[in-house]
Amino acid sequence: MPTTERTARLKNRCRFKHVAGGEYVDPGVKAGVERARLITQAHKENIGEPTSIIRAKGLENILKKITIHIQDDELIVGANTEHPDYFPMYPELSYFSTMDMVESHYCDHKEEMAEIAEYWKPYTIQRKAEKYFTPEEIGIMYSATTVQPPMFVTAFSSIVPNYESVIEDGLLKRIEVVEQKIADAEEEIRKSPWNAPEKLHYLDKIDQWQAMLIAMKAVVGWAQRHARLAKIIAENFLTDPKRKEELLEISDICRHVPAYPARGLKDAMQSKWFTFLLCHSIERYSSGYGHKEDKLLWPFYKKSVIEKNEQPMTREEAVELFECERLKVSEHGSTKGRQLREFFAGSNDLFILTLGGINPDGSDASNDCTNAILEAAENIVTTEPSIAFRWNEKGNVETKKRVFNCIKKGFGFPSIKNDELNTQQLIKYFNVPEEIARDWALVLCMSPGITGRRGTQKTRSEGGSDVYPAKVMEIALTNGFDEFFTNMQLGPETGNAEEFTSFDQVWEAVKLQLRYAIELSLRSKDVGRIMESRYLCCPFISSIDDGCVEKGLDGNELAEVANPWHNIIGGSVVVVDSMAAIKKLVFDEKKYSMKELMDALRNNWEGKEEMRLDFWNAPKFGNDDPYADEIATKYYDLIADEWKRNTTYSGTFPLPLAQSVAGYIVNGPKTNATANGRHAGEALDDGGISPYMGCDKNGPTAVLKSVSKINGSKHKGILLNQRLSTVLMNSDAGFDLWHAYMKTWHGLGIDHVQFNVISSEEMKAAQIEPEKHTDTLVRIAGYSAKFIDLARYSQDTIIARTEQDLAAG
Amino acid sequence: MPKCEKCTFFFPIPEKDMDFEPGKGDCVEQQQDTKGKFWLSKPVSENSEACQRYRPRN
Repeated sequence: MPTTERTARLKNRCRFKHVAGGEYVDPGVKAGVERARLITQAHKENIGEPTSIIRAKGLENILKKITIHIQDDELIVGANTEHPDYFPMYPELSYFSTMDMVESHYCDHKEEMAEIAEYWKPYTIQRKAEKYFTPEEIGIMYSATTVQPPMFVTAFSSIVPNYESVIEDGLLKRIEVVEQKIADAEEEIRKSPWNAPEKLHYLDKIDQWQAMLIAMKAVVGWAQRHARLAKIIAENFLTDPKRKEELLEISDICRHVPAYPARGLKDAMQSKWFTFLLCHSIERYSSGYGHKEDKLLWPFYKKSVIEKNEQPMTREEAVELFECERLKVSEHGSTKGRQLREFFAGSNDLFILTLGGINPDGSDASNDCTNAILEAAENIVTTEPSIAFRWNEKGNVETKKRVFNCIKKGFGFPSIKNDELNTQQLIKYFNVPEEIARDWALVLCMSPGITGRRGTQKTRSEGGSDVYPAKVMEIALTNGFDEFFTNMQLGPETGNAEEFTSFDQVWEAVKLQLRYAIELSLRSKDVGRIMESRYLCCPFISSIDDGCVEKGLDGNELAEVANPWHNIIGGSVVVVDSMAAIKKLVFDEKKYSMKELMDALRNNWEGKEEMRLDFWNAPKFGNDDPYADEIATKYYDLIADEWKRNTTYSGTFPLPLAQSVAGYIVNGPKTNATANGRHAGEALDDGGISPYMGCDKNGPTAVLKSVSKINGSKHKGILLNQRLSTVLMNSDAGFDLWHAYMKTWHGLGIDHVQFNVISSEEMKAAQIEPEKHTDTLVRIAGYSAKFIDLARYSQDTIIARTEQDLAAG
Repeated sequence: MPKCEKCTFFFPIPEKDMDFEPGKGDCVEQQQDTKGKFWLSKPVSENSEACQRYRPRN
């Protein structure tokens, strides 16, 4: 139940922006045009200026002129569009993505937006980057079969903003710092004698710093617009004295932040929200909600809730504020093309915040702010933002009980990450000092990245993008040609499987196809990164990073802390199980030939049910079966080794990250029948290492033992979905059983686990009477969604997951 | 034609604010739909010709 009448009202009228079946669920959702119109106007007026200045003036024009709004009952104000039902558009990023929206029913200004899209066509990141690829490479990438289409066409990015510097410093102080940097540079270039190699680099830096000034001043002005609006509403439109008082306080807060350091929790929350809007959806679009919220807000929570010396409030008022935050995120509109809307089935965007873990000094980082955030999530029951909990053995039991409470209610979150393993990864692979590494948060669903005042991830060109392994294996058996979906040559010619005479040949073909997909995808990211640095400067994002300010560099260009990673999405376990079946039935037992197998796969096992069952019943990952697990170990080592061959923009090799979002659903229909006994078109495995649906038959500990054989330290993350019994989790012994399971999980050094706690009966009932199950949530993979908003095909994949009995061991 | 500056919904921007420009003000509009009330604000010039929502200030 919502904590207060206000949050009950806000939830009841929430303008949710989540999607189902690739479309926004709420019929009122529309594409806003003001951002696109204003950035275009500024671009036309400033063409010829340095790119950083053009970009800053674009942001300035948006913030000065966009229609702002405040809704009734809100405690946190600000949005990314001109109307609370809208999402913004970004014509400077991708022509295809913009036209996708223009041609959709979401766009009511088709003529104007088509004109804007045409104007931007030569300036888009898409046009700038495409010329470095052959038409064949473009065809492969845009087909979304073996790799995700690149950022320069999807416009999809991700970021961890430097919230700390805004909340701790305030922008006016940062403006002073940047002005001093310009003054120092001006003095430096006038020193005698003239030395070009030492002085000329200041020209670009001065442009970057000037751009940062324009951006920060515009942001302060935009916050002041909200301050004025709140005051105008209070003084001219309302009679309710309580709401008038609230609005006058909101006005005071917006006048204070982000211009000045936050005083208490209300300031910090508002300053954080403004910064989120700017970095994730106004300056450019970037997915995510990456921050360590309990660490960031704890000093202000202490001042307001515990010590009550700044913006004093009760604990209940703090919980209400966190509930308001969850609703604000739920109605935040994100802009995605159809491929991504389908990939995030049931969700709005990948909003994931991080809690728990330890502090830089090694003490337990869970505090009462952590508990209040979890309590708000438990009360308000929204799918977004999702929560990741860093499980450290030092973590206190009270907080872990609150984590359990959310999980047992079936939210699917918090998802749990192994704190020690993920901290060590940042230290070992990316040379992050230990005290900084200990403040990590998830960038998106699964990947840890640093938080704080400098060096955080600024673009998905650093970490992100996908390779789709099941399709890669499919074409490894057909000489690199996709016979099933595109009729295109998607990879190198590595031979037809009918001619393979050893298991090593199968393995080699998969390796070479994987190598091609990885390298094409990495190259597209790094080409995109260069284009972002040249043409998509982000002066505000840069202005709040201490490193960018110090060095006079744009955040896209500066890779102060490398964090490269790359997703391997949905299908890894299909590959493992298929390889195990091929090895056993074709090469060990010689029961079938490769030709017989390929004929059966091409015919979707038609007339070969007995043969299919042989392959279906071959050793499967997730049962602590050495035969399948040995192949799994070899496969996960292979993908780590294949990524390790490469060096990316930030100077090191990326780590793979096995997960699936809804890719296991979307990519299933694009993938032919597979040798694990799966039919063509059926869903793939639903995580990064989750056993295939219904194939884990030996209980939860056997799953953990199989997973623990994989060397997780070579990976950025490996997603494990588990489904637990509702009866057991809600019994008196529920917490103790789950806690014992978690200790086993932690002791085995496994990276991740997340849970669905919902019965098949409830899901089937929701399929029949969806109107009675509006708050039934389920975990997809990396995010949660309302069960009723999923397509029947997706719902059935969750029902098909094995329900584990913790008591059975 | 009446000008925005005479409208009840026109609020001049204070000189101390970052986006101050002489003659510029906030045009504030209350709206209500099935999901509740909200207020919109967009910048206008006091010399702009008033829109259909024009209501003269008392």
